[in-house]
Amino acid sequence: MHVPAACRRLPILLACLLVAWLWNGEAALAQDIGVRARVDRASVAEGGQVALTVEVSGSSLGEIAPPDVSGITDFDIVGGPMSSNRFQWINGRTSATRSYTYLLRPRRTGSQRIPALGLLVNGRTYRTDPIDVEVLQGGSAGAPGTRPPPPAGGPAVRGGPGRAQGSMRPQPEPEGAPMVRVIADVDARTAYVGQQVTLRVLLDTQTEILNLGMKDTPTFPGFWAEEIKLPENLEMRRVQQGADAYSEYTLMKRALFPTGSGALTIPAMTYQIQVRRRSTDPIESFFFTPTETITRRTDPIAIHVQPLPASSRPDRFSGAVGNFTLAVTADRKESRVNDAIGVKVRVAGEGNLNAVNALPLPDLSDFKQYSPRISSSTSVVGDRLRGEKVWDYVLIPLAPGAQTIPPVIFSFFDARAGTYRSVASPPILIQVARGADGGGGPAGAAMAQSDVRQLRRDIHFIKQAPDGLADRSVPLYRRSWFAVLLLLPVAADLGVFVYARSRNSQRANARQRRERRARSLARRRLREARRRMSPPTARAFYAEVAQALAEYVAAKFDTSAAGLTHERIEELLTLRGAPEEDRGTFHRCLEACDYARFAPTSSGPEEMRRTLLAAEEILVRLERSLSA
Amino acid sequence: MRPARLASFAILALCAAAPLVPALASTPRELFQSGNSAYEQGKFQEAADAYEKILAYGFADPRVLYNLANAYFKQGRLGAAILHYERALRLDPSDRDARDNLELARGLIRDRVPETDIPYPVKVLQDFLDALSIELVSVVFLCLYYAAAGIVGALPLVSGEMRRRALGYGAAAAWLCALLAGGALVYRIQDRTAAHAIVMADRVDVLSGPSADNTVLFTVHEGTRLDVRNRRDGWFQVSLPNAMSGWVPAESVEGV
Repeated sequence: MHVPAACRRLPILLACLLVAWLWNGEAALAQDIGVRARVDRASVAEGGQVALTVEVSGSSLGEIAPPDVSGITDFDIVGGPMSSNRFQWINGRTSATRSYTYLLRPRRTGSQRIPALGLLVNGRTYRTDPIDVEVLQGGSAGAPGTRPPPPAGGPAVRGGPGRAQGSMRPQPEPEGAPMVRVIADVDARTAYVGQQVTLRVLLDTQTEILNLGMKDTPTFPGFWAEEIKLPENLEMRRVQQGADAYSEYTLMKRALFPTGSGALTIPAMTYQIQVRRRSTDPIESFFFTPTETITRRTDPIAIHVQPLPASSRPDRFSGAVGNFTLAVTADRKESRVNDAIGVKVRVAGEGNLNAVNALPLPDLSDFKQYSPRISSSTSVVGDRLRGEKVWDYVLIPLAPGAQTIPPVIFSFFDARAGTYRSVASPPILIQVARGADGGGGPAGAAMAQSDVRQLRRDIHFIKQAPDGLADRSVPLYRRSWFAVLLLLPVAADLGVFVYARSRNSQRANARQRRERRARSLARRRLREARRRMSPPTARAFYAEVAQALAEYVAAKFDTSAAGLTHERIEELLTLRGAPEEDRGTFHRCLEACDYARFAPTSSGPEEMRRTLLAAEEILVRLERSLSA
Repeated sequence: MRPARLASFAILALCAAAPLVPALASTPRELFQSGNSAYEQGKFQEAADAYEKILAYGFADPRVLYNLANAYFKQGRLGAAILHYERALRLDPSDRDARDNLELARGLIRDRVPETDIPYPVKVLQDFLDALSIELVSVVFLCLYYAAAGIVGALPLVSGEMRRRALGYGAAAAWLCALLAGGALVYRIQDRTAAHAIVMADRVDVLSGPSADNTVLFTVHEGTRLDVRNRRDGWFQVSLPNAMSGWVPAESVEGV
């Protein structure tokens, strides 16, 4: 709306400038430009503010850039720049002055210096002189006549919890500057993790606000911030502070939820405000709409955030802080196997539910459970954030009968009471009938099966000892008798080996002895036969000769004479390498004895003598051949 | 007067020595039952105290160690729980409950140490042998050893070629089985006598040498099992299955 007004006045301004140019006769050049900086006080108390004014004066100012204040390191710039113009017309000569005013707050005590500031005027750089400011520790200081800042409290119309503790120090305006201030305000300086802290930013002004905006997007490190919507048209309230009346606007509301414990800080926010400037220059007031853009910054606010008590924290604590209600509803109370049931778990109340992710419905063994659809919404009631979160479950009954959805427990921290609270829903009974296809139950052949799911894990239970305890610290292999058991078979085997060798040796000796004695035994038999060599005892004679021959072979081959047949004798003699002639003689002699034994009448004394001689001879020959 | 004075001294000496020995008022069996009932009532510290007293008697029963590990697990003392599960399994490797609980407890500790890759057949054989108690392996080995020795001893006493040959084959087979059982027994003995330790402190820095001013190589946390390779002046040289090794203070770990 001012632009058209300015446009209307533009021809008049151009006409005046033309007259001034004609009067002067030449274009005013920037040859007489003067730049200086001044402060409103030479000393300031710690935490106080000092107004720095940079003035540019000359007959014609032209284009002027604001001073470069980046070199000010010992002060915080808490306000400004506020610019103003002043024209003077004295004795036909015009002079103009433009001033830029900043509010500075010293960062430390002692002598602090505002360095030389550079300005660009009509393309040339001018520099101010540095200024020293004495910053006093504590107390108060300031040039006399400085307007004291308005009281912080006072009979203000505005109020609200925590206003006294959360309000900011009002910012003094430099002389001539419009009374505009921006105040950040919280409803509580201490809070629990997750508890809402409401931040308000207020604008108090005594002049008309033409435009305003934030210099930077506000950030709230350490907080979850939710915006509290304000009406599109800012609502104005009248507040009275002492003798001063202000128009107050609420610029911003935020619901802040600390995400961690400790000392958190809501950082300062900077607003740039375009205000109507009070001008004492009638020409300017007549021709222009005098405006200026000023900067206001809130102070940071420290919030002490306490952790949630750990001692009494419930197992199923969801992380929610506030005051909530819980409702669990099922869309039907009767169903069939494999027919879906919708179960809605709704948690609502004052507080922030965005951080709650835990599923409130426990695992159900007799239902197939799908991942829920989660929806959430927030609303603001009386500057308090209210949240609602809904879990929509689809449950498929797996078995017929009376199935129960157990109570759902939702635990949260009630920050106002400072305790944990749990709300539980009543159990919901669902009557599940067999499926339409007959499934469900032993009679149903087509019952849907599902895997048995592990709901949670825990250690196995302790053991009992019905048979008593036993010390098993010494294992079997470390007991002394284990070594004995190991050595025992070795010793036994050695004993058996020795015994077997001894037995074999003894057997060998007996065989040799018998073999050695074979001929003498045969001779003894033959002597006995010779004694019976007469016809009456012919049978006994031949028996003795046959016995002598058989026993000789038996003794030589360590076998029994009773089982020796002619074939066996032939075999044994052949085995020992007896000549064939001797074997034949031996058999003939033996056969002659056998024949004579069964027909004794056929043999006379001469026959018996030849038989005896033949037996003696064959024994001698066999002894020789077998010994070889 | 003299005998009375001696009796008084004896009573005083007994009273002074009483705290040095386990509670003589309770037998291990009674302590075990009281520990179990305390456990069932949720008094896990009380249960652990009772089980510890049984161990102080010298009763190294695997069930006591298992229950003690459970009591520590319920108190959240994972290092002590894992230590006693390991000890219970050393005495009774066939205890599947202890094996399951140990696996569960190991899943809750902070450190995850990758195991070395073992070929599948070897792993199967190891798992099979690990599940056998050392007593069972000892008995099986003794039986096979006696069978083989008996057959060998019978050989000289048997006559006949066929019998001797059959006995010879039998003796060879029996010796082969006895050798296998002996190998299994040696494996189990080595496993039982291998030096392992469990980290009992919340976190332990593993240093490059046995003194505090050495470089920290890595950090292990409560419940991690370490192989003990060496001991020296209150320090253990330990290693992990992935070959990382270093020195830790002896008081920060407990030998299995």
